[in-house]
Amino acid sequence: MTLVLAASGLVKEYRRGRAVDGVDLTVAEGERVALLGPNGAGKTTTLLMCLGVVRPDAGTVTVAGHTLPKHRSKAAQNVGFAAGYLPLPERLRVREYLGMYGELYGVRDSKRAIATGLERFGIGHLEGALGTELSSGQKTLIGIVKATLHAPALLVLDEPTASLDPDVSARVRAGLESLCDDEGTALLITSHDMREVERLAQRVVFLLGGRVAADGTSEDIALRYDRADLEGVFLHLAEESRR
Amino acid sequence: MNALRISAIAKRHWWVLKRSPHRSFDIVLWPVVDTLTFGSLAIAYQSNQTRAFYVLAGVVLWHVLYQAQIAVSAGFLEETWSRNLLSLMVSPVSEAEYLLGTGLFGLFKLVLGVGGVALTALLCYSFDITSLGVGLLPVIVLLLLCGWVIAMLVIGIVLRYGSGAEALVWGILFVLMPLSGTFFPVSALPGVLQPVAQALPTTHAFTAARELVDGGAYPWDQVLLSAGLTLAAGAAAVWYVTAMLRLFRRRGYVTRYS
Repeated sequence: MTLVLAASGLVKEYRRGRAVDGVDLTVAEGERVALLGPNGAGKTTTLLMCLGVVRPDAGTVTVAGHTLPKHRSKAAQNVGFAAGYLPLPERLRVREYLGMYGELYGVRDSKRAIATGLERFGIGHLEGALGTELSSGQKTLIGIVKATLHAPALLVLDEPTASLDPDVSARVRAGLESLCDDEGTALLITSHDMREVERLAQRVVFLLGGRVAADGTSEDIALRYDRADLEGVFLHLAEESRR
Repeated sequence: MNALRISAIAKRHWWVLKRSPHRSFDIVLWPVVDTLTFGSLAIAYQSNQTRAFYVLAGVVLWHVLYQAQIAVSAGFLEETWSRNLLSLMVSPVSEAEYLLGTGLFGLFKLVLGVGGVALTALLCYSFDITSLGVGLLPVIVLLLLCGWVIAMLVIGIVLRYGSGAEALVWGILFVLMPLSGTFFPVSALPGVLQPVAQALPTTHAFTAARELVDGGAYPWDQVLLSAGLTLAAGAAAVWYVTAMLRLFRRRGYVTRYS
C-alpha cells in the first residue's frame, strides 16, 4: 500500500491551548478518508499542517514521498486543496483564475484541463464569468475544479459542501466520485454532513480534543460506539467532549 | 525558479489592474499630481533653475521608488484582500517566485508611472530627465532595488501584525521622502535626523541624482555608498521577511485570511 499522505505524531499548540495533540494520519493511494470531529477538534489545523501552511510543533508530514517543510513545493504539486470558506478573487474571470493555478501547478494543456474540470461539475458555462457574478455554490465548485486541474494524487477538501444547497452538494459529491474513480485520486475531506461522509469516504478518522478518537470504516465505528450511524457517533462523541 | 509560475503571478496582477480603473490612480494620477505640486513649488520659490531641477529630478526618481515598493507590497495585500493567500501558500509557488512575479509586474507599472512623471516634467517645466544621461541608470536601479527592499520589510510586518499594519504600505514612503532628502540636501534636515538620513541608501541615490543635475564629475562615491547600503538593507529585509514567514507558519496566522 503506497501512502500519499503520512503524518505522524502531529502536535500544534496555540496560545489558547493545544489544538492538535499527537495525531497520526495516513491516506493511501486512491483512498477516500474523512476527517471528522466537532468544532475545535483540530481538523483544520491538522489539514493545514498536512498542507505545509502551518508548521507542527512536533511530528512529521510526508506527501507523495516528499517531506515537509523541506520539499514543500514538490509535495504541493501532488496535492489539490479547496475549502468551502475560500472565496474566488473578485476581479478575475473563472478561466483566468483557473489558468493562473494551472500554470502554478505546471499543467501543460491548461485550457483542456479547465474545460474538462468545468464539465465534470456541469459548470462549463461559467468559464467567462467574473468572481463577483458567481453564487457561493458556484464558487465552491470552481474552487474544487482549481484543486483538481493538475490531477493531484491527493485532494484535500475542507468542508466543501458547507452552505451549499442539497442539489449543488449532490453535484459536488457526484463530481468527486467521478474524479476519484476516473483518476484514482485519493481524498481527504472534512465535513459536518455525515450522510455525505458515509457516501464518499471509505475510512473515517474522528478527532476529539486534538486527538484521534476513532479510525475505521463508518460501519465499524458505528458498531464500536453502539450507534446506528455516523451521526449518532458524532453526537455521542461531541457530548463526551463537553463533559 | 520556475518561469511559468513567475509569469502566472505577474499576469494575475495585470488582470486585477485591468478591472480596477481606480488603481491606475497610483500609476497615472498621483505621479502627475506630485509633479505638478512639487514642480510648481520649485519653480515658484526658486530663482535658480538648477535648484528647481533638483526638485523635478527628485519627483521623477521618487516615483521609481514609489512604484517599485507599492507594486510588490500592494500586490501581496491584494492576496490578503481577496483571501487568496491560503490557496497560494498550498500551491507549489515559492516565496521567491511570488516576489519575482509581483516585482516583474511592478516594472510594468514603474515604466508607466515614471514615464507619466517624466513627460509631465518635460511638458510643464521643460525638465528633460534623459538629459542627465546614462549615468542616471545606476541611480534608477538602486532606487528600484530600494523599493523592493522596503516592500519586503512591509510584507514582513504585515505577516507578523496582520491587516492592521497595512497603512505602512503607503505610509512608510512618506516617512522616507523627507528623510531621504528627495527634494533637498540632507543638510537642510534638523540635525538630529541627519545621521538617520545618512544611513539610508535612498539618501545617497537622491544625492547622486542632484550631483548629476549639477553636471560635475560622476558621483561614484554616492552611488557606491548607496549600493553598499542597499545590499545591507536587502540582506536585512530577506532575513526579516523569512523570519516573519516562519513565525506566520508556526503561529498559524494564515487563518486570519481564510
